[in-house]
Amino acid sequence: MAILVDRKTRVLVQGITGKIGSFQTQLMIEYGTDVVAGVTPGKGGQLIHGIPVFDSVQQAVKNTKPDVSICFVPGPYACDAAMEAIDAGLRLVVVLAEAVPLSDAVKMVAFASKHDAFLLGPDTAGAISPGKAKLGVHPHRLFIEGRIGIVSRSGALSYETAKVLTENGLGESTVVGIGGGPVWGFTHRDALRMFRDDPDTELVVLLGEIGGYVEEEAAEYLRNGYPKPVITLIVGKAAPPGQKMGHAGAIIQQGRGTAQDKIAALKQAGAIVANSPREIPLLIRKVM
Amino acid sequence: MRLYEYQAKRIFQKYGIAIPYGRVAKSAEEIVEAAHQLKRPLVLKAQVLAGGRGLAGGVKFAQDSDDVAKIGSEVFDQAIGIEKPAAVLVEEKLAVIQELYAGVTWDYQRKCAVLIGSSRGGVDIETVTKEHPEDVVKQNVDPFLGFSAYQARTIAGMIGLKSQSLNQYANALAALWKVFQQSDAELVEANPLGLQDSGMVALDAKIVLDDRSIFRQTALLSQIEELSPQTSSGFEYRRSRAKKLGIPTYIEMPQGNLAIIADGAGSGMLTFDMVTDQGGKTRVYCEMGGEITPELMERTMMAALSVEGVNVLLVNLIGGLNRMDEMAIGITNYLSKNPSKTPIVVRMSGTRQEEGRKTLAAAGITFFDDLDKAVGEAVKSGRRI
Repeated sequence: MAILVDRKTRVLVQGITGKIGSFQTQLMIEYGTDVVAGVTPGKGGQLIHGIPVFDSVQQAVKNTKPDVSICFVPGPYACDAAMEAIDAGLRLVVVLAEAVPLSDAVKMVAFASKHDAFLLGPDTAGAISPGKAKLGVHPHRLFIEGRIGIVSRSGALSYETAKVLTENGLGESTVVGIGGGPVWGFTHRDALRMFRDDPDTELVVLLGEIGGYVEEEAAEYLRNGYPKPVITLIVGKAAPPGQKMGHAGAIIQQGRGTAQDKIAALKQAGAIVANSPREIPLLIRKVM
Repeated sequence: MRLYEYQAKRIFQKYGIAIPYGRVAKSAEEIVEAAHQLKRPLVLKAQVLAGGRGLAGGVKFAQDSDDVAKIGSEVFDQAIGIEKPAAVLVEEKLAVIQELYAGVTWDYQRKCAVLIGSSRGGVDIETVTKEHPEDVVKQNVDPFLGFSAYQARTIAGMIGLKSQSLNQYANALAALWKVFQQSDAELVEANPLGLQDSGMVALDAKIVLDDRSIFRQTALLSQIEELSPQTSSGFEYRRSRAKKLGIPTYIEMPQGNLAIIADGAGSGMLTFDMVTDQGGKTRVYCEMGGEITPELMERTMMAALSVEGVNVLLVNLIGGLNRMDEMAIGITNYLSKNPSKTPIVVRMSGTRQEEGRKTLAAAGITFFDDLDKAVGEAVKSGRRI
């Protein structure tokens, strides 16, 4: 099973003809992802890596019936592209663009929830179900198939964690990046909900960082009881307050959003706290 | 991107919000000159981007008999944290009946903009929220329906304003909304917003622009003058240089000896934490963001290695979108042009790592696969020197 993406997921790539879109599409196909169509307005009719390109999402949907879209469209145009995909009926849209204007990010996420669609991102690495398929830009050699679900704000922190797990013979069902914030569509809580119902996931690793609200929201969700062990690592403990640490959402303001607060909330909700990726496999061995 | 107070005030004024009479001075002489043109008492305010200005001595008053030249140079020379003021704003000090708060920002959890008002101005709105939550009132602005003036009047009424003041406050808040929306801001606030018999006046002004919207704010940016730092060697100089070099995140700590460059935010913060856990002290932290070119890698190394006190550089690369073959080219290019005596510890994993590692090896640069080992090595070599 896995969550969000597997071998059967039919994937549409928006922005497939760009340098990054084209390169990453090739990597997704090589990994086994079923990419069925691409969209670049004005380039309809072309083939990229053997995949038909359409002028609009609507045309692509009509002809190739994709389930989800992954959007490589740059920040300034990402809102429009995501709304087009949602309007065309897709219920999961992955937005990778990092530099999405705040007002656009709010708008696209609000539009998605209005249409009961999931928007993963913006500023996300996407999702990968190791050994099955990937809907993102993960360096897939670092991942192996297994029974651990990972949800992370940062893509790179999930790569780091998966790398350490792989070195210890452990693998993942699905690894989800929710994005750098401060606006998120899909959150840790959504991932926890899906992992709970996924028979392939035995344990969840929740990776968080300073700033924002998603870890606190996840803690609130876990407090009501969760059937699988949750191990958490929060980074940014040493970060100076008032500074954006690379992600727009990673900032301690007026003492709020510290790593210490998030760790305390998650611990109280029953999560097991790790201090570094290295500790995670050791903690997993104790509970799995 | 935060604007200086005087820049924000000029924008407020364009939108019809009253501000005190004042002048911006960029030298001790200009401060005296400005004081001559204004009515005393005066308030002298350091123009810095850091918070905590008042507590750090960045705001001083000059009564009739006070020596403005002396007070002015005190304010101008006083660093706020590690930041020296770029200028001093000299203003006429106004008597007000009450200090109020008016602001607009985002509620990321609710996915909408929010108008915020309070009868308690002059203090951080977060502090008021904590201590007197009943005195902070909010109205959400629907992302699709937009703002309506009654929302500003609702807030004015809820913070206890009546008759003329109610409308004056509502107009000021509506103007702040316009600033917020038209400048694509992250935060716009007048705190305090002074209540006078003649109307509202913004005694302080804060605008934080959204860095990711700046591409569509060229008209606004062209009105904002670029301030040059006082010296060409200090922190303000290096910060503005980092910005010009296109380094998305550049943070300096006052003490430390280790420079960190990372290609991901989460892995960068992890590196920072691990360095700290192992007893290392970070002097400068650079994060390069999502789409990184070899040239950006090169420029970031230059910026990090030229910070005084740095005796070791730790580069942590674990790229997905970011390609290791390209990063290796950036690193080797930099080092062939600028042979460095400072030890450089590179950790390289991720997309196209074989190609990248081959390039590094050919240039005689050692690299690590394991982050723990790379951090250990960097902290150790920093101590050896």
